[in-house]
Amino acid sequence: MSSRAITSDSPSVTPQVSATPLDDMAAIVATYEQKIFRFHLISIRDRDVAQSLTQDTFMRAWTARHTFRGDCSISTWLMRIALNLIRDHTRTDRFRFWKRVSETAVEVSDISSHIPNRDSSLESRLIASEQMTLVWESVAQLSERQRNVFLLRFLDELELSEIATITGLPVSTVKTHLYRALATIRARHNAATHKESL
Amino acid sequence: MTLHLSHEQLCDLILADSSLWLEGESTTNSDIVQAHLRACPVCSAELKSLRDSLAHFREASSSYARQEFVQSYAQRSSIAPPHSFLMQPLYWTAAAVVFVAALFPLTMHRQHLDSKVPTSAVSASVQTEESDDALLADIDQKVSADVPSPMEPLADPTASSASTSSPADQRTN
Repeated sequence: MSSRAITSDSPSVTPQVSATPLDDMAAIVATYEQKIFRFHLISIRDRDVAQSLTQDTFMRAWTARHTFRGDCSISTWLMRIALNLIRDHTRTDRFRFWKRVSETAVEVSDISSHIPNRDSSLESRLIASEQMTLVWESVAQLSERQRNVFLLRFLDELELSEIATITGLPVSTVKTHLYRALATIRARHNAATHKESL
Repeated sequence: MTLHLSHEQLCDLILADSSLWLEGESTTNSDIVQAHLRACPVCSAELKSLRDSLAHFREASSSYARQEFVQSYAQRSSIAPPHSFLMQPLYWTAAAVVFVAALFPLTMHRQHLDSKVPTSAVSASVQTEESDDALLADIDQKVSADVPSPMEPLADPTASSASTSSPADQRTN
């Protein structure tokens, strides 16, 4: 639970503290909502759940705003809450059931149409679509922790030190998860290349 | 046998994170790796392909998420009219027409009530007055009577039976 993690970070901070950087929640939502939504959407791969979790993220941030000590950026703090919510959500049986039957689940075909079309040649577009599909399917095979670390690095383009702060893992562990995630992608990539060459 | 970059070296190139390199090692390792990439088409092709795959994934995911976000935001704010609508005279005219249309039946209902209330009130008061007069007249009549009603002689209970049975009948029995 994110609120538990946040509260345990600073048990001495009392709710009487008047002004926090998170008091202007409307401005914070306007700044970070799209980023948080994107992370939820690509992690969970369901539009409705992503919307719901995005709202929950800001609700929890508002509830626990007095515990924000300013030792990390607001973005990092929000991402930590988002990550905890995803962890809570994906561990429920209900999630496993609804993932199979949900109509708002994101398919790879939804994503592949969004590949930028800089090169107009059909062959280039097909190759780009195949490469994107390969990564998309590989990410689904990763363990929860590897997937989180991978998305934080390659979707949100965060530095390893920031990922370490968000996940609460040492930088070396973050790096190991990334190596393993990339090994999975690389293996699928090589297999696809090998199949094409035959 | 040709040596290629290790998985870690390839990953470090993909990650390209400043925190991955130690101060002393960075230049040496980087130089060796870069020299190998220039010489080895296999490694450079694989690196390019992996970088492209990751870039396509990021760009497509971000673009898709942006579109979904805009759609969900539009759905959420669709209850209120868009800001630009408030500037249009047509919007205000329509709002005024709706307001008047809502007000009209209310006014009619009120007028109808106003016209109904006096008639019913007058008829009710006339009825009350008439019944009061009748009651008073009845009381006056009773008070002014010579013999009060409790002291009036009772009616003969045998009068009716006497008239029905004649002496001739009694004789025959």
